[in-house]
Amino acid sequence: MATAPRAAAAPSYAKKFACAGELEQYRQALIERTDPAAPRILVCCGTGCKAVGSLDLLEAMKGAVSAAGAQVRVMPEIKRTGCHGFCSRGPLMSFQPENLFYQRVQPADAEEIVRETILGGKRVQKFLYTPPGSKEPIATVDEIPFFAKQTKLVLKRVGRIDPFDINDALVHGAYKGLVKALTEMTPAQVIEEIKTSRLRGRGGGGFPAGVKWESCAKQPGRHYIICNGDEGDPGAFMDASVMEGDPHAVIEGMAIAAYAIGSDRGFFYVRFEYPLAVQTLTRAIRQAEEMGLIGENVLGTRFTFKVSISTGAGAFVCGESSALMSSLEGKVGRPRPKYIRSTERGFRDSPSNLNNVETYANVPEIILRGGAWYTGIGTERSTGTKVFSLTGNVHNVGLVEVPMGSSLREIVYGIGGGIPNRKELKAVQTGGPSGGCIPIPKKFLDINVGFGRLAEIGSMMGSGGMIVMDENTCMVEVSRYFISFLVGESCGQCAPCREGLTRMKEILTRITRGEGRPGDVELLEEIGTFTNSFSLCGLGTSSANPVLSTIRYFREEYDAHIRDKKCPSGVCKPLFYYEIDPATCTGCGLCRVKCPAKAIAGEKKKPHTIHQDLCIKCMECYKNCKFTSIRIM
Amino acid sequence: MKVILDGKEVDAEAGRTILEVARANGVDIPTLCHVPALEPAAMCRLCTVELVEGRRSRLVTACNFPLRGEVEIKTDTPRLRKGRKVLIELLHTRCPDSVVLKELAERYGADLARFPDDNKDCVVCGLCVRVCERIGANVLALSGRGVEIRVNTSFGRTARHCIGCGACAQICPVEKIRIRDEEAERVVIVCGREAARIPLRPCSSCGKPFGPVIDLSLVMERAGEAQVPAFNLLVCPACSRRSHARRLAERHFEQYDIEPAPGGGAE
Ligand SMILES: Cc1cc2nc3c(=O)[nH]c(=O)nc-3n(C[C@H](O)[C@H](O)[C@H](O)COP(=O)(O)O)c2cc1C
Ligand code: SF4
Ligand code: FES
Repeated sequence: MATAPRAAAAPSYAKKFACAGELEQYRQALIERTDPAAPRILVCCGTGCKAVGSLDLLEAMKGAVSAAGAQVRVMPEIKRTGCHGFCSRGPLMSFQPENLFYQRVQPADAEEIVRETILGGKRVQKFLYTPPGSKEPIATVDEIPFFAKQTKLVLKRVGRIDPFDINDALVHGAYKGLVKALTEMTPAQVIEEIKTSRLRGRGGGGFPAGVKWESCAKQPGRHYIICNGDEGDPGAFMDASVMEGDPHAVIEGMAIAAYAIGSDRGFFYVRFEYPLAVQTLTRAIRQAEEMGLIGENVLGTRFTFKVSISTGAGAFVCGESSALMSSLEGKVGRPRPKYIRSTERGFRDSPSNLNNVETYANVPEIILRGGAWYTGIGTERSTGTKVFSLTGNVHNVGLVEVPMGSSLREIVYGIGGGIPNRKELKAVQTGGPSGGCIPIPKKFLDINVGFGRLAEIGSMMGSGGMIVMDENTCMVEVSRYFISFLVGESCGQCAPCREGLTRMKEILTRITRGEGRPGDVELLEEIGTFTNSFSLCGLGTSSANPVLSTIRYFREEYDAHIRDKKCPSGVCKPLFYYEIDPATCTGCGLCRVKCPAKAIAGEKKKPHTIHQDLCIKCMECYKNCKFTSIRIM
Repeated sequence: MKVILDGKEVDAEAGRTILEVARANGVDIPTLCHVPALEPAAMCRLCTVELVEGRRSRLVTACNFPLRGEVEIKTDTPRLRKGRKVLIELLHTRCPDSVVLKELAERYGADLARFPDDNKDCVVCGLCVRVCERIGANVLALSGRGVEIRVNTSFGRTARHCIGCGACAQICPVEKIRIRDEEAERVVIVCGREAARIPLRPCSSCGKPFGPVIDLSLVMERAGEAQVPAFNLLVCPACSRRSHARRLAERHFEQYDIEPAPGGGAE
């Protein structure tokens, strides 16, 4: 006989907890009810896995398990979780308590998994992860370098709990920090603790959070707490994953900030493109309110904190603090020109504290374990951990959390698994569209990733986007890409940003088309330096970074485009052609078969040739040749 | 409070902007998007100056930076001149025939041939929008984002609630807003496009259309007047002048019994 599903009735609670003690009693009851040895299957339903069908997989797993019915000795709990981080391997799932990890699982595989793994207790080889360059599959999460080398602080519950179920969060320690702050600390002590931790804003600027809280708390009048969930950097999804995977961590962080600063009202500003985050947050806020963890008289104290969600229309510039506040007020999302901090006069002209999602998510643990403990992680000037979204030409694309000060080598090779297709690493781009490209082979592979160091070499931490670029990346094209992005995202109100970006885009486009002129690089530098110094908001004053940093480190590539009319990386189509090296071509014919334009001819076992007029430069031959005989000319 | 302005110590009242203090001391900082009567928007960035606080130096816009402490301000450094030069060159592409920009180009040695003309007929200083909000009927707004930004009416439609005050045309630094009276209508043309069209009121005396038909109470409210003044709303200024003159003549000169000049005006 199968035991009843473990999702049995949760211990009941009064409509609202009247004091912290009641909450802790309830939490204890939840924990006692949870058997750590009971089987659980965590199906990742983060945005990445959802996109490749994990919701269907979740249903299929539930269906297959209940179809197996009585044969199952102990019914596993099948849990929908937030992002596990290993997005390039999705859809994925893990089996608890043994921590078995399955990847690239399709809904159709559900039956096999139930039969083999749940009933048969066997590991199905094909679902196991095999690291690049190895033949040995790895079975458990703890052994996979991608996971093992991370330090999960902000993401500690993401991917382990059901984000729609507050009970699950409570079992894993949610709201303990808030309880401690409310029952054992004064607002001033909370601020002191955050200052001790030297926590710096994770939204890009790296401003010390404790200092910001303190200056906001000092202001008279009603205070507002705002969470920046706009996350507009292309390719970044750190904040989305936290909001989607562990919404209570952010809500708790905001509540602690509200208590410290003396605010009774908070807002989430979430971009329109994050419907899942809006769902998880909406549910989480309601559940927390029902339990009296936020809302009026939190846990029977005099502290009141109401939270609501506001969605932005998905404009990058609305992540900028004053534009965000205008947008929140219902006005056009354009940065305000005022020389006044929003901690003094921000939202509705009142003192407002704006922090990033990840910044708030760090707070509960700092309160719980103390600021001093926090400074033990990371470096002197950049404490704690940072979540990066690792993308581009790297094996393991996904979300990674590492201590500040980790080297790029550790992130790209240790966790990221290196560069696919036997290619060379060329550069790492950090900081999103306002960041810069760090050239790798030269000297920076061992640079420690932290606020100060990245800025020194002409890039920035930004909010944590990290794009890995291999040898076939054209740096001129990369800078053109980012500038085009910014041309579309600049609010357009101030002249240097609007006009400067327009001209830079024009010049870069010309260069990538082979129409570059001598002096273009100097012109770009002149416009870029001007735009970076004369613009109104942070978007404009960092907008030329992609151009300036690529010129600084890859000047020879610009010269090749302009002077020699060549794109050495083989990206800008008018500026290169492919040629087959007759000395190494074995005449295997693979390229001839692969070429969609039928541009390759040659006899078997004899060197082949490419008909240049037919070639569409799609890269198929280059990618497929086993003897690296295709040359970029 | 004292500040150092281009090397000279000058008095400054706390809260005043750098531009106000500079002007009071005869230092000319160029501006394009600023008039003292309107809240600064700091959009053109031409008034950018260097602010030295202790050992840190940064660029701020003079038109809206409020002075709060004893700082040093430099309004004409090589860095600023270079930036202003590029700025003028860039803005000039939008309005190649602007007199104001030509003068500025002269002052900063801008090379106006460096970038190809774009002829957008607008430098997006936002003055018309701000003056319309303040004095007019809030007809104009900046719409669109980034490169697309432009002065526009709601949904790009010809506005009917304009009061035809002409403040926008008056304030535009590049003179690209025109007001034209066509038969019985007044038309506002912004950057070559019709932005507003409102009926003109026919004079009850001569029948010719004159001022726009508008809700005067709204204007009075903005002007801070209690009620619509008791002048004749139905007669055009020309007729009004004529009838006034006639009344004067009747009252003062009739008694002298002057002979009308031969072929003169008396009906
Ligand atoms: C153009 C621009 C875009 C920004 N986008 C974001 C964003 O998407 N998310 C974010 O948290 N901060 C963003 N920021 C930074 C915010 O202005 C602000 O510094 C931050 O939210 C403060 O929180 P923190 O101190 O916790 O980092 C952006 C800044 C600029 C200038
Ligand atoms: S710098 Fe760019 S985004 Fe910022 S206010 Fe100016 S135009 Fe808008
Ligand atoms: S006059 Fe100050 S920014 Fe235009």
